Amino acid sequence: MKRRDFIKKAALTTAGTISMPYILPTGRLFASTGSQMAGHVIFVMFAGGVRQQESMGKKYLAESQGLDIEGNIMYNMLAGDAPELKIVYGVDTTDGQPGGQPIDRILNTTLEKQGTLFKEVRYTHGGTGHFVGLSTGVSGYYGITQGLQGRPQHPTIFEYLRRHAGLKATDTWFIGNGINNSTPLLNYSAHPDYGRQYGANFFAPNVTFGQQGQDHLKGFLNFHPDEEMSRIDEMREFLNHAYLANGHEIPHLYNTDEERYNIKQFIENTFEQLDNNQIAFPPVVDNGDLSTIGYATEVLKWFKPKMMVINMFAVDSCHSNYTGYLKSLHRADHAVGHLWKFIQEEVPEMANDTVMIVMPEHGRNYESNAITDVNDWFAFDHDSDANSRRIFTQMVGPCVDANLIVGDENNPVGNAADVVPTIADIFGIKNEVFAKGLLHPEAMSLFDRI
Amino acid sequence: MKIIRYSGLVFFFLLIITIACKEEQYVYEVNEVEVNPNNSGKNKEKSVSQFISILYANMYQKALSPDDLVEITELIASIGDKKIAYETVLAKMITDPDIKIPTNGEMRSNIEQFVIETYKRFYVRLPTEAEKTYLTNYIESNPDVTPILVYFSFATANEYNYY
Repeated sequence: MKRRDFIKKAALTTAGTISMPYILPTGRLFASTGSQMAGHVIFVMFAGGVRQQESMGKKYLAESQGLDIEGNIMYNMLAGDAPELKIVYGVDTTDGQPGGQPIDRILNTTLEKQGTLFKEVRYTHGGTGHFVGLSTGVSGYYGITQGLQGRPQHPTIFEYLRRHAGLKATDTWFIGNGINNSTPLLNYSAHPDYGRQYGANFFAPNVTFGQQGQDHLKGFLNFHPDEEMSRIDEMREFLNHAYLANGHEIPHLYNTDEERYNIKQFIENTFEQLDNNQIAFPPVVDNGDLSTIGYATEVLKWFKPKMMVINMFAVDSCHSNYTGYLKSLHRADHAVGHLWKFIQEEVPEMANDTVMIVMPEHGRNYESNAITDVNDWFAFDHDSDANSRRIFTQMVGPCVDANLIVGDENNPVGNAADVVPTIADIFGIKNEVFAKGLLHPEAMSLFDRI
Repeated sequence: MKIIRYSGLVFFFLLIITIACKEEQYVYEVNEVEVNPNNSGKNKEKSVSQFISILYANMYQKALSPDDLVEITELIASIGDKKIAYETVLAKMITDPDIKIPTNGEMRSNIEQFVIETYKRFYVRLPTEAEKTYLTNYIESNPDVTPILVYFSFATANEYNYY
């Protein structure tokens, strides 16, 4: 080939490569425009409504009950010494003092030291209700006209990732604390351009593997895919074809046949693990949040998901039981510490390649209500006052600055809607997500706020 | 003048006769036909509790208890992919020896009738000729197909989720 021809053909090939769209397996046309910072993201919705005073402020009883006792009861996440008096948040002592023994710390180095803490983030729009807060967390949009029994109006992070980053269904998981408060509706949105074909798999494991699952699921017959299931599929294909004219189907998440079989195997295996006491529950597991985290680690180990959201909720006992709230807050910290340690030590495919983000869905009121608990301590609601709009966001993992605190009470930095663009940024699809124009107008990647 | 008078009289009588004439009615004797809905009208999605109640009734030939209905409905809500949820709950039911399902021998003694009965049981309609022929041939030519596999296919196909 002559030199001139070679240069001409090489130039044409290069131009063609640049201009021709590349069709990814999931149907997207172009590769993402940004670079990926980590292979996995875990977003812990530290939910139920957490007061800044007891979390970031480490005030314990000082700014709630008028007692001059401060201290940090979240010592896996935050630096600072624990309270020394009126210890009620731990487990019962051997001599019967309720909550008198604090739970041992799990992490040698706090997440505050390992990562970046946005200490004062604001929940800026709408009422501070659980479902709006949760749907804002997963969609980056304040659905202030959001119905309580409807799916988020705007796409969730799962849908963005499946559609724009090419993730498959079992790459994305939402693990809920339960089935109340419309939690099962958060794995995909009602947005017409997205929806369940891009949704995340979901378990409320305390139900799936709880009494309901024990009674009606455990021991189910998992047909072999190459034998019985292939016969079923053939007959079902014929039956569905006969019904296709209507275009209706059983609502599903477009898991492939292999993924469906894999999920069924996971369910089978989890029941076996339960029978053998082999679920990786945290060292203390005495509430729903802790068991939820235990099951979530099983999902992590089995599927190695690219994106997982875990919802906790027990701190909402603060509506009527302040002591219970302190216990739940202490346990939520225990849960997060266990989760992070598990990822680093038990899931080699995810260790050092996972970013964890922790954020409450909203705060709680500054003023208490009139309800007192066994210790005569007042309870707190969340009625959209300024204090209930104060939250925090913590990030840890590769590409996240260590030992960095951003913002304070007088200089809040960050918005409750920021998590979705932050995750999109980590996966290198920030521009695609912003281009859709479906995020809250003030939402930004937290990396851009630093 | 006379002609005009008589023609008026004739017209009057003709009118009376015409009005009085009654069209003969024919009665055709036909066999009674059971009318079942075809699948084109099934476009309302069953709620989870409807789906479970009907599934249980189809499998056990008796009603599901209210407590079990609540438990299974909660269980279904705890699994995101409803296809997986329905399949696993049904796959648990079929391990129960109390379900009412024909034996393989009963099915193979009259496959065509089994197919018709299965359509009536799960889809509340008769199969079309094409459906009947295909499934009859399919079962005949595949000895490893059991009534359980047929029932499982019917209960997890799309039509079963609509009414």
